[in-house]
Amino acid sequence: MAPLLRLNAVAFISPHNHPILIRTFEKGDELKYHYVAHTSLDVIEERTNGQTKSNDCYLGLLYAMDDIAAYGYITPLKMKIVLALPLTDSVVRDAEVIMTFRALHLAYYHASSNPFIRLHDTPAGVGSAKWKRFRRKVDEISRAVGGGSVPS
Amino acid sequence: MQAAPASALSALADPPARLVDGATMDYLLIEAVNALRVSSAVASARARKIERDMVEAGLVPPPPPPAKQQNPRDSASSTSGKISGPADEDEGVRSRLEAIGIHVGGNFAERLCRDRPLFSDSLDVIKFVCKELWVSCWDKQVDNLRTNHRGVYVLQDHAFKPIARISSWEGRQEALKRAKLYVALPAGIIRGALSRIGFQGTVVPEITTLPQCTFQIKLPKNT
Repeated sequence: MAPLLRLNAVAFISPHNHPILIRTFEKGDELKYHYVAHTSLDVIEERTNGQTKSNDCYLGLLYAMDDIAAYGYITPLKMKIVLALPLTDSVVRDAEVIMTFRALHLAYYHASSNPFIRLHDTPAGVGSAKWKRFRRKVDEISRAVGGGSVPS
Repeated sequence: MQAAPASALSALADPPARLVDGATMDYLLIEAVNALRVSSAVASARARKIERDMVEAGLVPPPPPPAKQQNPRDSASSTSGKISGPADEDEGVRSRLEAIGIHVGGNFAERLCRDRPLFSDSLDVIKFVCKELWVSCWDKQVDNLRTNHRGVYVLQDHAFKPIARISSWEGRQEALKRAKLYVALPAGIIRGALSRIGFQGTVVPEITTLPQCTFQIKLPKNT
């Protein structure tokens, strides 16, 4: 029985390249995942502005560094989601990662449908009560994927 | 045991769609226009009353009396609400409807873009608006799309659903005038969807004969 995927961190980045939510599930340096999100942005930009533009939302493995593998996803509305997974030797199935991304996108869509929420808020603003449901959904998704990792 | 988390994740990724009765959108549009007309009449009356009170208290210099001392070259003095009554109120309702539409359109685009690949260029975006947005809001596709390939698109619908059943006992012209207000919300929906996708354009609805409606979309040059 292959071990289930563990999520290290999830980052949502707005179309104007502002971070919306960066959530870590590993007891580690949260700043490291901010840095991971930043470098992922660069890789995403060079992939989407290249000549061979693919029409796919799922960008696949962006890059790997230290013990983190970063996977990227861009929605047609130019919002980016970055997933940081621990670099393991076990095979990571694309289908599972894509499903995780779709679940995250749906959670964001449910949150943004609330007309009382200010869209493209900063991570500080996202800590407020209105975004609570969104954060809870993201935690639920990470639990469904990883089976019991504790959010920090 | 492997199946349980997988199905939980897939349930989160693809929840069963929640559907809404199609007729409710029509009713909502009709009632929204009436409700907002009343509401914006109250709001503008309140604003005018405040303005009058401020003038009486001497805080604000009184606005120039209309049409007497108005310099014909000076066209900017239409800010005092007393000059143009009904057109002003219509404008208020229309901008509110459009603002609501922008919000709805943005969220709707977010919903519809879930399962599709990225947009390749602005024509693709317009085609998405014509097909998917129109079908989910108004049950049919746009009948005619024309473009001058320089950012101006004209969408023509031969039987636009919100105004398909408008009639007025005062005759065709009166019905046409009233219908103009009812297309403000759909124009806002289109504009909101476009702006969420990333194109800050303008959408101008035009009605020549009921129930035909054209929307002129101007997208900025840099795409």
